Amino acid sequence: MADFFLESILNLVGFAVGMVIGTISYIGFRNTGSPTLFRLTLAFFAIGAGFIIMWVGQTADMFVYKTGQPAQWVQTVGIGVQTVGYFFIAFSHTIKSFFPKSGYLRSVGVVPLFLISFISIENIIRSISFILLAYGAIETVMSYFESRRKTALFVAAGLGALAFGEFLGWYYFVFPQSVLGVASISTKIGGLILLFIPVTKVPLTKMKFDENL
Amino acid sequence: MNNYANTILPSMSAIYRTHMKIIGDILTTTRDDLPDEQGASITYLIRKANISHSRISKILGTLVSQGLLEQTNSSGTFKYKISNVGREFLQAYNTFNKFADSFGLTI
Repeated sequence: MADFFLESILNLVGFAVGMVIGTISYIGFRNTGSPTLFRLTLAFFAIGAGFIIMWVGQTADMFVYKTGQPAQWVQTVGIGVQTVGYFFIAFSHTIKSFFPKSGYLRSVGVVPLFLISFISIENIIRSISFILLAYGAIETVMSYFESRRKTALFVAAGLGALAFGEFLGWYYFVFPQSVLGVASISTKIGGLILLFIPVTKVPLTKMKFDENL
Repeated sequence: MNNYANTILPSMSAIYRTHMKIIGDILTTTRDDLPDEQGASITYLIRKANISHSRISKILGTLVSQGLLEQTNSSGTFKYKISNVGREFLQAYNTFNKFADSFGLTI
């Protein structure tokens, strides 16, 4: 029950953050025609949709099917849709390479991938999410050094926390029944809150959402 | 998408970003840095935006046709001032430029 409650909070926070940032990006796209904002719109709507799909799957199982384990395919679809969102964030930074070049990172990262990648598609998708999020976080930090905009640090920390949450969730399959599950969800919630901070700085009071601006 | 956004922001390439930045610079100049009340001449804008005559002519033509700039004829030379629509576009541009900047991106 505690796991259900915590995961519900994560999924609902993820849905809310995704929808709010997606909507603001969409307003920006409508007002400026910027393809970057269009990609951010797709990214955050996909992230929000992925979270709500997972929440629906969990809630349906909890109150309707009562099997004690949400349908695996629903969780996989939810994570897959989220990964599409992470892909668009990484794509906006122009992906140069899908995998870290550092030998150390590769040695740490490959172990759980090798252990669990044959268990289910979900774990493969999680590993892709991790790489995309880590890439996005690194690129955002790099851009901070150019722009010195402090909100970029919050976004970088948010993406980093989401990546770390995915990483912990990944190991949770290797070491089930450990504290890693709760740690993963808590880290992701923290990451989503950090991602939301720059949105609070956008003055939308005078923005028109109008074809005839 | 708005009509002018469709017209002046034609492609989703790297050139697009430069194009967008140039438009932002031109609109900012015509709003904040006018040499006189009549507006800014093409020569003045070329110097400020640092682009070729042929390129800025096309951009100015599009910005005028989309209502972002007002064109006046002063002593035989065209001068440009930002319109109210242009001011709103520039406000949106600046706001969302900061927003995208927070994600380490450029609009």
